[in-house]
Amino acid sequence: MPDRFDMLHLVGLLVVAGGLLLLVLTPQPEAGAMHGGRLDRAMEKQMLARARTDFLKQTYAPVVDLTASGEYAAALLKLKELGREYPGEPHGDILRGEILLAQQAWQPATASFVRGVKGNGDYVDAKSPLSRYESISRVVDEGLRQVGAQVKQHPDNSSLQETMRDLYYLQSRLAGGCE
Amino acid sequence: MKLSSFLITLLLLIALSLLAGCQPETERPTYTIGYMNCNSEAETIQRFQPLTRYLGEKLGVNFKLVPVDTQDFPERFKAGEFDFTHTNSLLYIILHKEAGLSLVATERRGEYGSRTAGAIISRKGSGIKTIDDMKGKRMLFGPQLAPSGFLAQYDLMLQAGFDPETDLSYYGIPHGSFKHEKVVYGVYFGAYDVAAAPALDLETMAAEGKIRADDFNIIGQSRIFPYCTFGAAKRLDTDLVNRFQRALLELTPEVTVELDGEVVKVLDGAWVDGFDQLVDSDYDPLREMARRANMPPYQEF
Amino acid sequence: MPTLDRHFWLVIVASLALGIAGVGLAVAGNPENSGICISCFLENSAGALGLHDNARMQYLRPEIIGFVLGAVLSAGLFREFNSRGGSAPLVRLLAGIFLMIGCGVFIGCPIKLFLRLTAGDLTSLAGLAGLVAGVWIGLRGLAAGIHFGRAEKQRGSGWWIPCLGVALLLFYLFRPGFLLFSTSGSAAQHAPMLLSLGAGLLLGMLAQRSRFCITGSIRDSFLMRGRTPLLWGLLVFVVVAVGFNLFSGQFRLGMYGQPGAHLQHFWSFAGMALVGWLSVLIGGCPFRQLIKAGEGDADAGLVVIGMVIGGGLVQAWGLTATAAGVPFYGKVATLVGFLFLLTNSLLWRDRTS
Repeated sequence: MPDRFDMLHLVGLLVVAGGLLLLVLTPQPEAGAMHGGRLDRAMEKQMLARARTDFLKQTYAPVVDLTASGEYAAALLKLKELGREYPGEPHGDILRGEILLAQQAWQPATASFVRGVKGNGDYVDAKSPLSRYESISRVVDEGLRQVGAQVKQHPDNSSLQETMRDLYYLQSRLAGGCE
Repeated sequence: MKLSSFLITLLLLIALSLLAGCQPETERPTYTIGYMNCNSEAETIQRFQPLTRYLGEKLGVNFKLVPVDTQDFPERFKAGEFDFTHTNSLLYIILHKEAGLSLVATERRGEYGSRTAGAIISRKGSGIKTIDDMKGKRMLFGPQLAPSGFLAQYDLMLQAGFDPETDLSYYGIPHGSFKHEKVVYGVYFGAYDVAAAPALDLETMAAEGKIRADDFNIIGQSRIFPYCTFGAAKRLDTDLVNRFQRALLELTPEVTVELDGEVVKVLDGAWVDGFDQLVDSDYDPLREMARRANMPPYQEF
Repeated sequence: MPTLDRHFWLVIVASLALGIAGVGLAVAGNPENSGICISCFLENSAGALGLHDNARMQYLRPEIIGFVLGAVLSAGLFREFNSRGGSAPLVRLLAGIFLMIGCGVFIGCPIKLFLRLTAGDLTSLAGLAGLVAGVWIGLRGLAAGIHFGRAEKQRGSGWWIPCLGVALLLFYLFRPGFLLFSTSGSAAQHAPMLLSLGAGLLLGMLAQRSRFCITGSIRDSFLMRGRTPLLWGLLVFVVVAVGFNLFSGQFRLGMYGQPGAHLQHFWSFAGMALVGWLSVLIGGCPFRQLIKAGEGDADAGLVVIGMVIGGGLVQAWGLTATAAGVPFYGKVATLVGFLFLLTNSLLWRDRTS
C-alpha cells in the first residue's frame, strides 16, 4: 500500500504531468515563438544557402563568362585575382578544374576538383544549386579511361597514381553514401 | 640479466647503430647539380640551396650547387661538368637529344601543375585583340631559350600564319634579370604594343596584386607543356638516379632543412609546389613547337 | 546443422527482413549502401540534436527510434521486458563512444559492412577481416576471465531509453525549433518517413525476438560452428542483400569509386577490429545494443548514450573517415580505443578462476 510519501509524489507527478500537457497543448506566446523559431531557422538556413549561391554566381560571373567564350587564360587570371580576396573558396577550385579540363590539363584539373569537393560536398550532389555532378562525372569517366591507360604503360609512375587516387576519390563521392 | 644492465646494453646498441649510419660529409661522394639561372646567380643559389642540402641529406652524398647561364648550359653539360641538371623544359629536350640527359622529375608550380604555357598579351584598350591586329606592332619577348617566354609565342604566331620576323615592326628582348616581369611591364606601361609573357608569370603577378586581369588582352595562349625539369647524366648509376627521383617526389611542403642555423622549408625556398614524374613523351608538344619554329634542337640552317 | 526450432526460424525471418530493409531503404531514398547503418544514423541524429555542426549530417533518423520502440513493444508483448543494469556503467558509456570511432574510421557499422560487401564493395573485406579478428580477440578475452560484472535487476533504470525513444519520436513528428535537418548531403537523403519508421519498428521487434546480432553471429560461429542459428541468419542476410542489390542495380563489384568507402585498408581493418572486440566484451554490436536498451537493459542504454555522444564527437572533431581516407586524429582515436580496450582487459580480468 502506498504510504503518505508515495501519495505525495504521485500527486506531484500527476500535477506536473498535467501542467506540462497544458503547457504544450495550450497556445502560448512561447509556443508560438518556438514554432515561429523553427520556421525562421529553416528559412534562415535556406536564405543563407541561396545568398551564398547567388553571391558565388555573381562574384565568379566574369570567370564563367570568360570560360564560356573560350578565353581560358584570362579566366584563370581572373580567378587568381579573385583568389586574393577569397582564398581557399571551393567554388574557385571547381571553376579552375573546369578551365584546366578544357585545356586538357588532367592532373591539375582533377586535383582542383578534389579540393573543391573536399571543401564543399554540394558540388557532387545532383540536386544542389551548385551541383557539378555532370561535369565531375565526365572528368571521372574520361580521366579513368585516359589516365588509366597511361598507368598501365607506366605502372611505377607515382604522379599518375596520385591522379588515379584523386579520380577514385571523386568517383567515390559521386557514388554517394555516407560522408 | 638485470633490467638495468639490459637497458644500458640496449641504449648502447641503439647509439652504435645510429653512429654506424652516419658517414662523415668529407667521405661521401660528391655530385654536381647544374641549375639554370632564371634571373641571377645569387637568386639561383638562394632558391636552390635548401633543396640541394635536402637531396644530399636524403641520399647520403654531397651535392655541389652550380648556377649556370642558359646559353652556357649545353656546352658545359656536354663537357661533363654536371651530374644532374635543373633547366627549363626546352633545355631538357636539347640535352636529351644531344647528350642523352634522362628525365628525373618535373617541377610543379602554378595553375597548370607540372605544365606551363606561353601567352601573348596587349594592354587593354590598345585595340590589339587578335594576332592579325599585331601586324606592324612592336613586340617584347623573353629570353630566346625560354619555352614559355619565347618559343611558345613564336610558334603560336607561326601557326596563325603570322611571321614574327616580317610581320612585326620590331621585336626585342629586355636586358638583365627579371626579363619576364619586364616584358609584362613593357606592355603595361605602353613601351611596347604586345609581349610574350609566360602564363606562370602573369599568374604570379596577378596573385601578388602587381597586375589585374582586366589590365590586359590575352591575344592567345599556347598548348600546355612541361615546366622546369630535373635531369640526370646517362653515365650515372641507375640506383642513384632513382633515389634522387624518389627524394624529389617525396617532398612535401612541410619538409625542412637546417641552413646556416636557420630552419628552411625546402619547397617554399625553391618557389616550387612539388615535383611530378612525367614521361619523356610528355615533352613532345614542346618538340613539335621547336620543330615548327626551327629552334634547337631541331634547327636547320 | 542447427536445430530447426522456433528460434531458428525467428532468426531466419529477422535476417530476411534485415536484408530486404537494408537494401530496400537505400533504394527508397537512404544513402547508397546505407539502408541501415547504426553509426551513420546515430551521427545524423546527434547532428539533428545539435551535438555537431556538420550541416550535411543532421537528420533525426526514424529507423533508430523504430529499433528501440520495436524492441520495447516486442519485449512488452512477450513479457521479456526486464529492467536491469549496473555492470561497469562508465566503461560501457565510453565503449559506446569508441564503437562510434571504430565505425567512423571504417565508415559504417557491422550491418553496413555487410551491406557494403553485398553491394560489391571489396574495400569492406578489410573491415570484415578486422571485425572477425576483433570478435576472436574478444572471445579469447572472455575465455581468459574478462568480465564487466553482473547486471542486477534495477526497477528504474531500464525505462529511460524507451522514454527517450518516445521523446525522440515526438521530436521527429512535431519538429521543435531546436532540431536541425540537413538540406544537402547524405543526411538529406532519406526514405519516406512511414517506411523508415515502419521498417525500424518491424526490425526492432524481430531482432528482439530473435536476438539477432552481427558480432554475436560471428562469435557464436567461433563457439558453435554450424550449430548456431545466428550463422545461418547471417548467411540469409548476405544472400538476400546480394540478390536485392543485384535486382535493384545497386551491385557494383570493385575496389575503387565505391560509395562511402576509402582505400586505407589497414585502418578499415583496425576500425572494425575495435568494434568487434568491444562488441564481444559489452555483449553485442551497435544494433544489438539498441535492441537490448529497448528491452530494459540499462547497461546497453548507457552504450547507446555513449554512441550518441560519440556520434557527435566523431563529426565535431573530424575523426570519421571520408572517401579521401582516415584523418590523422581518427587514427589517433582508434589507437586510443585499443588502449582503452587493453587497459580494461587488464583491469577487469577475473584471475581467481
